[in-house]
Order: sequence, then C-alpha cells, then structure tokens
Amino acid sequence: MAKHRIFGYCAPWSVKPGDPLQFMVSGEGVSTAQATLVRLIHGDESPEGPGFLEQEIPGAVPDTLHLRRQFTQKGSFVTVPGMAACDPAPGSFTIAGFIHPTLPGKRRQTIIGRWDIAGSRGWGLGINPEGHLEFWTGDGKDVDQISAEVPLIPRTWYFVAASYDAASGTARLMQLGRVGRYNGRLGPVVPYDYDSIVSAPLRVAPQPASAEAPFLWAGASDWNDMRGRFVGTLYNGKIDRMGLWSRALPEGDLRALAEAGQFATQDAVALWDTSEGYTDGGIDDLIRDIGPHALHGQGVNRPVRGMTGWNWQGRDDNFRLNPQQYGGVHFHDDALTDCQWDPVLHWTVPADLKSGVYALRLTSDGAEDHIPFFVRAAQPKAPIAVLMSTFTYLAYANEHLAYEAPIAQAITAHTPILTRRDIDFVKLNEFGLSTYDHHSDGAGCCYSSYLRPILNMRPRYRSSAMGFPWALPADLSLLWWLETAGYDFEILTDHDLHAEGAAALAPYKVVINCTHPEYYSEAMLDGTEDYLTQGGRVIYAGGNGYYWVSGLRTGEPGILEVRKLDTGSRAWQAEPGEGALASTGERSGLWRSRGRAPQKIVGIGFTSEGMDHSTWFERMPDSFHKRVSWMFEGIGEAERIGGFGLGLNGAAGIEIDRYDLSLGTPPHAVLLATADGFSDNYPLVSEEITYAFPGRGGTQDPQVRSDITWFTTANHGACLAIGSIAWSMALPINGGDNNVGRFMRNVLDALSRPGPLPGAEWKGEEKLWR
Amino acid sequence: MTDPIAPVFHKIGNRRHELVLSPEGSSGWRRARVPGLKRHWLKWRGGYNPKTLERERRLADKRPLWWLLSLGALVVAAPFLSNPMLQVAAIFCIFAAINVVWTLIIGAAGILSLATMAVVGLAAYGAAAANVYLGVPWPLMFLVGAGIGLVAGGLLALPSTRIDGLYYALLTIGVAEICRVSISQIRALAPQNSSINNVASFIPQDWYLQRPGLLLGFGSAFVLLLAALLLFRAVNSERLGLLLQSAREDEEFSEAIGIDYKRARLHVFLISSAALGVIGAYYAMFYRSISLNVFSLDQLLLMFAMVVIGGLGRAEGAVIGTAIVVVIDRALIDLGPLRIILIAAVMIAVTLTTHRGLADVREQFRAFRNRIRSERRARRTRKGGEVMPEEATEIDDKQLVAYRRFDKRLRDRLKELVTPELIEEHRQAPLGPHSDALARVLNYFRRGEMPDKYAILQDGPSEAWEYSVMALSGTPGQPPRVVDDRIYATREEAYHAVFLLRVNDLLES
Repeated sequence: MAKHRIFGYCAPWSVKPGDPLQFMVSGEGVSTAQATLVRLIHGDESPEGPGFLEQEIPGAVPDTLHLRRQFTQKGSFVTVPGMAACDPAPGSFTIAGFIHPTLPGKRRQTIIGRWDIAGSRGWGLGINPEGHLEFWTGDGKDVDQISAEVPLIPRTWYFVAASYDAASGTARLMQLGRVGRYNGRLGPVVPYDYDSIVSAPLRVAPQPASAEAPFLWAGASDWNDMRGRFVGTLYNGKIDRMGLWSRALPEGDLRALAEAGQFATQDAVALWDTSEGYTDGGIDDLIRDIGPHALHGQGVNRPVRGMTGWNWQGRDDNFRLNPQQYGGVHFHDDALTDCQWDPVLHWTVPADLKSGVYALRLTSDGAEDHIPFFVRAAQPKAPIAVLMSTFTYLAYANEHLAYEAPIAQAITAHTPILTRRDIDFVKLNEFGLSTYDHHSDGAGCCYSSYLRPILNMRPRYRSSAMGFPWALPADLSLLWWLETAGYDFEILTDHDLHAEGAAALAPYKVVINCTHPEYYSEAMLDGTEDYLTQGGRVIYAGGNGYYWVSGLRTGEPGILEVRKLDTGSRAWQAEPGEGALASTGERSGLWRSRGRAPQKIVGIGFTSEGMDHSTWFERMPDSFHKRVSWMFEGIGEAERIGGFGLGLNGAAGIEIDRYDLSLGTPPHAVLLATADGFSDNYPLVSEEITYAFPGRGGTQDPQVRSDITWFTTANHGACLAIGSIAWSMALPINGGDNNVGRFMRNVLDALSRPGPLPGAEWKGEEKLWR
Repeated sequence: MTDPIAPVFHKIGNRRHELVLSPEGSSGWRRARVPGLKRHWLKWRGGYNPKTLERERRLADKRPLWWLLSLGALVVAAPFLSNPMLQVAAIFCIFAAINVVWTLIIGAAGILSLATMAVVGLAAYGAAAANVYLGVPWPLMFLVGAGIGLVAGGLLALPSTRIDGLYYALLTIGVAEICRVSISQIRALAPQNSSINNVASFIPQDWYLQRPGLLLGFGSAFVLLLAALLLFRAVNSERLGLLLQSAREDEEFSEAIGIDYKRARLHVFLISSAALGVIGAYYAMFYRSISLNVFSLDQLLLMFAMVVIGGLGRAEGAVIGTAIVVVIDRALIDLGPLRIILIAAVMIAVTLTTHRGLADVREQFRAFRNRIRSERRARRTRKGGEVMPEEATEIDDKQLVAYRRFDKRLRDRLKELVTPELIEEHRQAPLGPHSDALARVLNYFRRGEMPDKYAILQDGPSEAWEYSVMALSGTPGQPPRVVDDRIYATREEAYHAVFLLRVNDLLES
C-alpha cells in the first residue's frame, strides 16, 4: 500500500459563486499538500478518447494546505450525553429491553451500557465472542461478567435484562425469546428453548466509567494514543425499547416487562421509547427518553430506523401505519454516513467562477487526490443545462461489487479490471459502503453519504467490475463534447432539482440528463414533469433512469436513502415491512411500482442491462417524418449511429431503456431509432418477469432493445429520450466528430432556440398515396 | 457389475453417551462461585443439540469429575486396605504431592530442575534437626521446612536465570549429590548412619506402624496431596500461570507487551520450593526419621519415571505416573529387582507410544482418529463427487450439499463443451457475443464463489497500460493476490488468459 496518501471530501456538493464550501482532508505520511483548483474537462484515460483533461484555475485556492491524519469512526451507535450524571453505578440498577442480534459470536459486541474498554471501568450488556448474552462490570482494575447459558439465535427477538444488586453484590442476567409468527427469521415451529436466567455473585462492583466515556447503545468507548476516544465493540442487529432503573428489579417485574413491553416508571432512570418520534414524513436520529430526565440519545452514522420491532404483527408494512410496532433500530458495525473530519479549508466560491464540474486537486510526495464538486450558475444565462446525477453518484459511492458480490461477474460478463488504487481501496476498507453493498450482517446498505471520501467519484475512475467509466467520469464525456462543440452550458445537480423542483430547471431552454439518472426523489420527478409541462425541453440521454424511490432527510442533503425491495435489479432486498424510507416516510422500491414508471415522464424506461458489448442505433421509420427528420440531417438512412464509444465500443448498451405504451409512454411519442442484437448477457429485467420461462435474453426477447423516442409537450416543450448509458460515452470518439455528435448537434441547436420546434407544423393527417 | 465410481453410502449415527442435563430455560440458574474467586465450581457449556435443538447443559471441563471419582475412590477404599497397602497408598500420596509441585517447576515455570528431592531432603533434615536438637514442636516443623525450602529455592534460582536447560538440569543433579555427601559428613547433625531418628510427629508414638497410625498417616498424606493440587491449581490457572503460559507461547512477544515472565518464573519457583520444604518436614514426621536415601539417585530416577510416564506439565500426569510407579515399586515388592525393569519397560512403552505421557492419551487418541478420518476421506475414491453422509453431518447449510452435487454434474456437462474451437472463439472475442456453448461455459465461470475468483490488474501509465492476473480474496479488507508473473499487453489477452486458467481449473476438477 502506498505510504503517502491523501483522501478528502467536501460539503456541500453543489455550490454557486459566493457560497461557502468546506474541504475535509486527511493526509497519511504527508504534512502538506499543493492545492490547485481545477475544472474537470474529461476523465477517462482511454486512448480512444481525449484522455484525462483538467484546466487549472490559478490563485483560486491557497497553494499549500497543512494536513494531518484524520480518523474515521465506523459503525452506527447512539450516544446519550446526559447519562454521565445519571449513571446508577456503583449502586443497584437494571437495564432491560429488546434486541434482535444479527451477527452474534466471533467478536465481542456491546449492546448498551457505559463501559470504558481501555480503562476497564463501568458496565455493559453485550454479546461475548461465543455468541452468548453477557453482562460485565469493571472497577478500573478488574473485570467480572455473567453470561447467559445458551447462545443467541441470530435474527430472533429477545427480551434481555441485566440487574445488579449492590447490597448483595449479585447480578441477574435474563434472556427470554420473543418469537412471533412474523417478527424474525424463524417461526414458532422451531423447538428452541430460547430462555436463560442466570444469577451469580459478582466479584467486581461496577464503578462509573470516566467522564469522557459516554453511555452508548451498540458500542462501547475505547481509547488509543493515536486516535483518542472512539467507539469499539460495535453491535450488529436491532434494538427496540430499552429502560434503565436505579434498583434491581425482581424477576417477576422483568417478566411482566417482557410480556407487555410497557416499562414501569417507578425508579426509572431512563425509558427510551424507540417508537416515539415517528411522523408522516419519517423520523430523525434522536432516540427519545420518555422517563423523568429526558436523556435523549443521538444516533451517529445513521442507525437505520423505521424497522420492525419485537412486537411486529405483520399486518402493517410501513411504520406510518403503526409506529408502536416499529421500535426496531438497526445498527451496523460498518455503517458510515459522516467521517466528521475537521475542515482544512474554508473556502468561498469565487464570484467569477463559471459553472462546471470542479475539483480541488491535492498533490504531495506522489500522493494525489481530486475532490470534485459542482458549481452552478449564480444567475443562469446559458440556454443549456446539464443535470449531473449526484443522487446516482451517491448511490454507487465506494461500491464493492467487484470484490464482494459473487454475482457481479455474471451480471457484467466481465472479469474485473483493477488498478493499484482499487487494490488500495480494498485494503483500506475505511470509507463505508454504497447502496449496492451489504453490511457485515448481510443486511443491505440503505444510506450513502458524501460526507466521506468517495474513491470511485474521481475523474479518472473506471468501474473495476466493468472496466469502463461509470457515473461522474462517464458523464464528463458529455461535458467535454459540449465544451468542444462550442455550446454554452451550465450545470445543475440532482440535489438542486430535489431542493428547488422545476424552478431549478426553468431558466434553461433545454436540460440534458447524464448517463445514468437512476436515483430520483419525488421532488425530482415532480420538478422534471412540471418543467416539461411548462414548455421545458429535456434530453434524457441515459439508461435506467428515474428508477429507485430515493430520499433525503430535510436539511441533510449529504445522505441519500433507498430501500431496495420486491422487484427491480436490486443488490439486496429489504426485510418484510422495512421498505419505507425513514427519511421521508414513503414506500421505497421502484417508482414503477408506485405508479410512476419513467415512461410516463420521458417515454422510455429500463428494460435490460449487460456489460459484455454495446451496439449501435438504427433509424426507425418514424424518424423519416418531417416532424423529426431534421434531427437526422447528415445521417444516412441506414447508417449505424454510434458503432463506437468508450462504453464497450457502441452507443447503445450497458443499461438500456425501451418504449412501452402499457407503462405510460405518451401515446404520441415516436420511435426514432432502436438498437437490438444484444447478447443473452442482456436479460429482460426482473420487474418484467411474471412467469419465468426460457429465452428472455437479448437474442430471443424483443423487449431487450434500446430505444430513442420523442414527444412534444405543451408550450413548445419536448422530450427526447435516448435509452442507453453508452450514448454519451460515444461522443468523444474521433475528436467529437461522429454521427452521435452530429445527432446531438441537430437536436441541441433546435432545442436551445426559443419558440416553436422545427417540424412542429407537420401535424396534419397523412393523405398517403404510397 | 457395479459402476466403479458409484458412491457407497454408509449408515451413520450415534447414541448419546455423554451425561447431559436438559434444564428448563426459564427456571433460573444460580451460579455459585469459588469463594474469593471469579471461578465457578464447574465449567458448564450450554447449547442446543444440533439434531433436535433440545437444550443441553454439559460439563465443558470434565476433569473435576475425574479427580473427584478417582480421589474419592481412594478415600473410600482406604479403610479396607491391608496395612502394607495402606502404607503404599500413603506413600503414593506423598510422592504424588512432590511430583505435582515439581510439575509446577518444570511445566509452569519451565525450569528444568532435578533438585526437587534435594530440597525435600534438606527441609526434612532441617526440620528433623530442629525438632530433635532444638526441641521445636512438630507443628512448627512445617514452618522450618518451608523456610529451608524457600532458602534452598532461592539459591537454586540464582543460576536458573543464567544457564538454560540441560546444563541447569546437570547442575541440579550435582547439587543433590553435594547435599547427600555434605550431610553424610556432618557428624554432629546425624551421628547414626547419617540419619536423624525419633523425630516427633503428628502420629502419636504408640500408634506408629499400628492400624490407627497408618490410617492417620494415609489421611494426612491425602490432605497433603489435596493441598499440593490446590497449590497447583492456584498457581497454574491464576495470574502467575496465565502470565507464564503466554511466555511459553512466545517469549519475545510477551516481553514486548510488558509481561515480566522471568520474575513470574522466579515467583513460581520460590513458591514451589517452599511447598517442597513443607513436604520435606512432613516426610520426616511421616517416617519419624530421615535418612540419606532421600537424596539418592535411585529415588530421583524413580521420580523421573513417574513424571515421564504420567506426562510433564499437568497435575493429572504427575498423579497417574506416581500411582503406576508406586504400585509397581511398593506393592509388587515380591518381584524383587524385576520391579525396576518393569518400571523401565513401562516407561519405554509410554515414551514410544505417546507424545506427552499418559495424561495426554485422550487428546492423542482424538488426533489419531481425526487423522485416520481425513486419510480415509481423502482415500475414498467411490464418491462420484458426492458429499458422503459422514461429511454431511458437518455441513450446517444443507443447500450446500445440493449445490455440490449440482455443481459436479454441471461441470461434467461443461467439460464436454470445451474444445479447441471454443477456446479459439473466446480468444477472438473475449467479451462476446458468443456461441451458446461458450456462453454456458463463461456463465458458469462468472457465477463462481468470490474467494479466489480471478480479476485483472491494469498497471502502468495510461498510454502503456499492461495487464496481469490476480485472484480476489472475497473478504472485505483483504486485497487480491497475484496469481503469476505473466504480463499481457492488451486487455483482450488478459481476459483470455483468465479464461484459460478457468478452463484449466474446470478440466482438472
């Protein structure tokens, strides 16, 4: 692994001139770095294209930045700041609640408590390396523990309680299985005796942990020389309601708690009700204490909420319907939504900086990093806007598909192509997961954040699973071409569209989507629809767009949420009842499943994907109608459009979309061109499969094709949809002089002019003699 | 005729022979602890029977049970033993106690000292002399013995930190001989045959060699053995022993993490020497006299035989070895000198057949069974690629068993598809589209499990990328490994190289 390394991120991603922007950077083996602001012109280094191009903006940022190693706290947990003053130790106490461990065993995990690992002080309730529930105490010198008799069964709800009686020095540990018909992996037919009640005298009385060690859920405080305080022994699994009392509750009382789930208030120190705080629009990271001291807990790295609780009855499949049954909070030892690094540069975007994709380039001693961000126009002037797919960039951020998903090679039909940087990335394993990855307990990762270095959102990056550029580096091909072809354009991001809706798009005559606008929020769909309705013009030049129901929590644009469920090309599947976005309250999954197939907005929607080859478009009969034939000026009647490109040597491929009236393609949409002849590595997508039968691949199924459609909307609006990720990646071939570029020129020239569209007058009934 | 590779399935299954409790989970379990310690009296393991999911509570460490049964049997049998046999039992207890303490020195502290009997003898002489010449009452003789043991241990410990192993062992034999010769020369100490007689004892004078005296002698020797075992347990399984255990595994590492193992060794040595001193005082009282025999090389060699037969480093080894040797040496006294030959024969038999004495026989038997099992499994040719019933009991996820069968059959079909033409087709277009046959073969490769799946490394500057083949780990945080040192100029060549490796893997399977 390289000795000198620089990693950084910035927030926010989307800025205007005059806006503040903060850069968080960590340097390993380096103490200073040369900083340069660069505009990213082109990313992919493939010799077939223009190569990596950046334009330095001298003097825009300080020349030298001082760096130090910054550490990242992985794992989600809850910290309860007020507990230091209310810790019942060394007196008697009882901690009790409900847990659903997902990965017991192998290493120690702390479920709840105020335990200082480094100082061996305090107390904690957790799971020992053998997978048994354990309650431990420490006085700073010695540690003692009491363990349950039988191991915890994974993905099963338990009522757990530990009580300590200071007078007699004895502790009681209790676990009672809470297996319902719906709430866990196993049902009542399995003859496990889950229960265990163990009591024993403790040789070590718990002394309260030092003041710096907080009371935590799902982890315990540790300390080392380099990092200082951090959280270790992280827990994997769900925790439902938890209570803490300042006396040793007798066994009968504990059994009553386990049955009813209603916690006694007498002698209560804290009564955390995880089902409190739900609103119609989702839930935040606060774990509410309804007890006398209001000792609310604050979630770190987004513990996943909106999850089914110990008492889930299976009838209500969304937390909004019955919050009482949704007390589950899921913790992961590898969750990361915010590195929380200290900024090394507080920067204001210069007033004269033109709109574009920029990066802070940092170099030092052979180490280099580009930290990209997006500058939109303070006052939109250009006729064209490119909508950068920042939601998609987030969804794929730091994906591990090539290294951890056994099925990835079968999907992509590629042997992964790794670079040294990829290998470093695998070794590093520090900057969290994408929504394509699984947590260590196998649960899908539903949160992805830009508050961390994202190593696959770098200009030169090629997807290791596929061996070609993906997302931002692929989208730079479109920007390079627009720039080279002399178009005046500005950029916008998904985040702007999400925040402002149609108002963000309205100043522009035409808005171009990037290669893969897959992740969309409701506000983004609404904004696009409203823009089209009001006469806006959209070029949807991408594949598999408007697909996943995604959301941001209000006021926290850095963290995207998606729950993959039921259907669609999904890296994982949410557990039953856990398909709603905690950020917004909406049902997640495919927009298509919620009545908003992408065909309804742009005319086409996802139909297949394959990464073994791309092909070309051929004109369809509709393209010869005078309403649209102007788009094909300079292109022959049977010419192969885009038989080349940086995306597998073709303009049609990778992920492809098709026209379908049954899914809401506007009835007047015309089919301009189509690409077929795909291999069987392009199978029909799962959401189309009702009965499964052989022959749903590209060589046999007519729905496996890539379409280019066009329809007009009110007020001279229109939508051109080109259903292929590879399309924009064909633009840079031959210096930009090619028939894909030619087509784009014809369209852009026309769409960026105000007023009626060319060919608009050819709307008469055909009186055909031929 | 039967198919030569058709699998042969043997019926498997076993009754449960182990004593297992099946407590009700919600009934509660009060766990008592050894007073003053965190240790529980017995180490239980709770779990579920994998066949029935019944709850099981079993003894994870059955040694306390065996100790209880064997020592209990000795106590119960003692009143029924003949006088000579009772004396043998008492002698067994004394030597077992000495050997248990010696085991601490050799096993736990790792100091190869053969001066054990010298310490016992010095303490015995000292305590006896204190009683006979200075009139020290017998209960205080134990203190005198402990003091002498401590001093002797301290003197013996001095060179132990400087010289190692065999040299130290030789030195300690020399020390024992010096003790013997010195005492034989000190006339004032032991006027008659270098012995001190008429030592006071806990056994009243008139009971001596009478039934009550023998019973009392055995009882006290038994208590002495229990005390030695307790000491062994307290030192070996508590803090000192744990420190020394880590030192035995890796001296430099434990020193690096701040374990002062030399100091811990010294402590163990001193504690053990004091204990040997106590045993020495007891020894003098038990016989009411002490003679030079205690230092004799014969005696040392007999004890050597005990430890070798039983096994070094474990208390049960010391006790088992002592029992065997004492029974042969003292109970079969009619055999005469043949006894020594018999002891030697047992010693040779044990060393030839076991790795670490009789105490280790159970582990050795298990290892032996495991070895035979894996050899047989490796040798079994009539499997036809199937999971055998005995292997299936070790696979929790039964779907994996089905996968194995499916995989085997799929591979057999795919092997027939691999032809030179198919390989040439891939060489020409690694990414496709492909013929049905090639697509099937490729899809099989691509669906393989993650560990050791091939990947390609692209290295060098963008104008001169070069490619090599790697294999992924499949484990988060673990980087891929290099497969070979071949370099490919184009990506297509690398794709094809991976394909050839996979074809090779397929055909070889």
